[in-house]
Amino acid sequence: MKSVQIIALRQDRKRLLEHLQDSGLIQIKKTEKCKKGFNKIDMTSQEQVFERNVTLSEQALKILDRLSPEKKSMLSSFCGRREIDPDEIGVIASNAGEVINICNRICELNKICADNAAEQIRIRTSLTQLEPWRSLDIPLNCHDTKTTAVIIGSIQKEYDEISFAQTLAEYSPELEFEFEIQYSSNGLTCLVIFVPFAQKELAENALRDMGFAKPMNPGNLTPLKETERLNLKSRQLIDKTEEAHQEILSYADKRNEIRDTQDYFRIRADKYNVISGLEHSKNVFVITGYVPEEDCTKLEQLCTRVAACCIEFSDADESDAPVKLKNNRFTRPAQGIVSMYSAPSHDDIDPTPLLAFFFYFFFGMMFSDAGYGLLMVIVIGIVLKIFKPDEKMYNNLKLFQYCGVSTFFWGLIFGSIFGDAPAVLYNFFTGSKITMAQMLPWPTLDPQKDALMLMIVSIAFGLVHILVGMGCKFYICWKHKDYAAALFDTGLWMLMLIGFAVLAAGMATTQTVMLIGAGIAIACAIGLILTQGRNKKGFGKIVGGAASLYDITGYISDLLSYSRLLALGLTTGVMAQVFNMLATMFGTSWIGFIFLIIVFLIGHAINIGLNALGSYVHTMRLQYVEMFGKFYEGGGNEFKPFSLNSKYIKIQEEKSK
Amino acid sequence: MNGIFFALLGASIATALAGFGSAKGVGGAAQAAMGVLSEDSSQFGKMLVLTLLPGTQGLYGFIVGFLILVYGGVLGGDMPTFGQGLAYFAASLAIGIGGMVSGFAQGRAAVSGIALSAKDSSNFSKAMVSITLVEIYALLSFIVSLLVVITVPSLNI
Repeated sequence: MKSVQIIALRQDRKRLLEHLQDSGLIQIKKTEKCKKGFNKIDMTSQEQVFERNVTLSEQALKILDRLSPEKKSMLSSFCGRREIDPDEIGVIASNAGEVINICNRICELNKICADNAAEQIRIRTSLTQLEPWRSLDIPLNCHDTKTTAVIIGSIQKEYDEISFAQTLAEYSPELEFEFEIQYSSNGLTCLVIFVPFAQKELAENALRDMGFAKPMNPGNLTPLKETERLNLKSRQLIDKTEEAHQEILSYADKRNEIRDTQDYFRIRADKYNVISGLEHSKNVFVITGYVPEEDCTKLEQLCTRVAACCIEFSDADESDAPVKLKNNRFTRPAQGIVSMYSAPSHDDIDPTPLLAFFFYFFFGMMFSDAGYGLLMVIVIGIVLKIFKPDEKMYNNLKLFQYCGVSTFFWGLIFGSIFGDAPAVLYNFFTGSKITMAQMLPWPTLDPQKDALMLMIVSIAFGLVHILVGMGCKFYICWKHKDYAAALFDTGLWMLMLIGFAVLAAGMATTQTVMLIGAGIAIACAIGLILTQGRNKKGFGKIVGGAASLYDITGYISDLLSYSRLLALGLTTGVMAQVFNMLATMFGTSWIGFIFLIIVFLIGHAINIGLNALGSYVHTMRLQYVEMFGKFYEGGGNEFKPFSLNSKYIKIQEEKSK
Repeated sequence: MNGIFFALLGASIATALAGFGSAKGVGGAAQAAMGVLSEDSSQFGKMLVLTLLPGTQGLYGFIVGFLILVYGGVLGGDMPTFGQGLAYFAASLAIGIGGMVSGFAQGRAAVSGIALSAKDSSNFSKAMVSITLVEIYALLSFIVSLLVVITVPSLNI
């Protein structure tokens, strides 16, 4: 990683930044403090405008998706960004204003729809409130005449003519009144009461005591007319909403343009964000950043071509510099697994090549089915061909494709092709009794019959995996000239594990080998006791050394952890066998044949789904916990170049250069 | 008297108890995941992975159960003797109990992992690895059950 400084004229700023963004070669550093004579330009307000546009178009797209969902195939999520001509950006830019207006309109219409829906609910409530008053032929807020007061309202209690007259008379014996019950049912009485004007207050007091209440929002119209008015309004609202919907739908074909515009603004927002972080003087501006060593000449060529500028490379300060992983075609897919853990710090070595090899190897051993492996390779191959996914998705798919190759070979070793499907189907149609082992011309290792053997093999692979991890630690310590740590902390343990392995091998073969193994192990143990307390004082030296032997439990549990290679391999095989057995259970009639196909397809689909997930997760765990735990620190910054951080479009590579 | 009853009891115990553990684990995780999905449905893939992690115990239990049926005279093999039947039963206890308890524990870990991953999806792989730490105990139980089941037919008891 090199540190780079580019000084260019302000008039070239737009051009230069655009080209840098397209090429994605450089990671630009934000300067915190400016040198004398330089200052920063605040671009926050422009940036905010662009970001607002991005949000607005996102909302518009969401609304469109809700009202007219796009037909998408299941596999379309693999699809890469659309490639566009560099010239097309200009077209998008010139249309951007119009598209943003459309987005605004869509959001506005959507708001109208939402408001209408709320209004509808309000109308519906009013209508229910009016329902008991339907037969009343005066408005609810009817005014008093000169001599008579009119009181309209309801009581939360059921009365008929007689009981109401009696109750009111009890509450206020001297009151003269006439009344008309409009509605009385379900514990509610709606009524109109007429009293002499002079007695209005008396009547109101008495009625209040009875729990009488006036209607909530009385209107000027009679209830019937009011109902009609509200119904009409409701119909109008429905029409308006429908209109708004139609208008939104008419923009559905603008979807792609909205997407392009959204990306256009996203790119511009990024650019302005970068500009705010640059130092400017009156005439020039300065870009500082990091560039991978191999891209230096490319960057220099690009800059000198598009602008008059001065470009300077220097060695980057290793502890701050970001890390870019460099890997070949075979190991690059596993880079994602490393980044998911943590990018390597400058002290680490890049673990990707080792991780890639063991990832493919262990995944294959766990998934272990030639049929499934072949299926993975072919399906992923087709998806890659058709959809041309983006780099990240491409790498993920590639990872599984390589895993598929390994799965295929392990399947052949375990004699498993869709479980024991070939043998089962052969027996099903011919009625013979043949096993996979008899059918396949090469010797196979059946995980069910030779489970113990396979467990030993698994742990042996685990030993190799751990030793490789410790080897890396050894190498790192050696490189940092920490020879004591390399030899005593790592080397002795490595030797000790090898000693145990020889000892175990000796148990199965001859006594001499066993003695050699035991000898190595004991020698290493003594070595550890003598060296592990070297940083402590006095008595602590011996105690620390002896205590370090306790670490052996950690190594044992690490090794046992690899028994999952056996367990998951077995799971795949047995599940597949179960489904094959279920599939052939219905006999050789034509119904049985249909069942055979259905159960076979569904069963193996389930098995692939469950066990591919299991294999992926457990392989990852073996890498992260067992192997990375031995040597990998992580915590570095990943190289994140200033590039087109877009969602839907990308610029064709040949022409952007 | 042959041992078919105990063999079948073993098959049932292995499948049912381990399945019970997984069902509870996956059920709890699924509830938490649906809470997250109600906020952000684009997380479905990640949530699915985390939800399914406690599901393996049931699978192991089923495999032990199935192998007992295969070796123990139901789906082939010879009728077990009384002693062999008891041995199958003994073998099933490991994955039955181990699977059940680790299923509960892994379910709880998965719920926390889902909460962690929902807050910041870059924590997904850490959550995933932490949840798998629990699984080793189910695996060990499974391997013990398995090794016993496949050696029982050759035992002379």
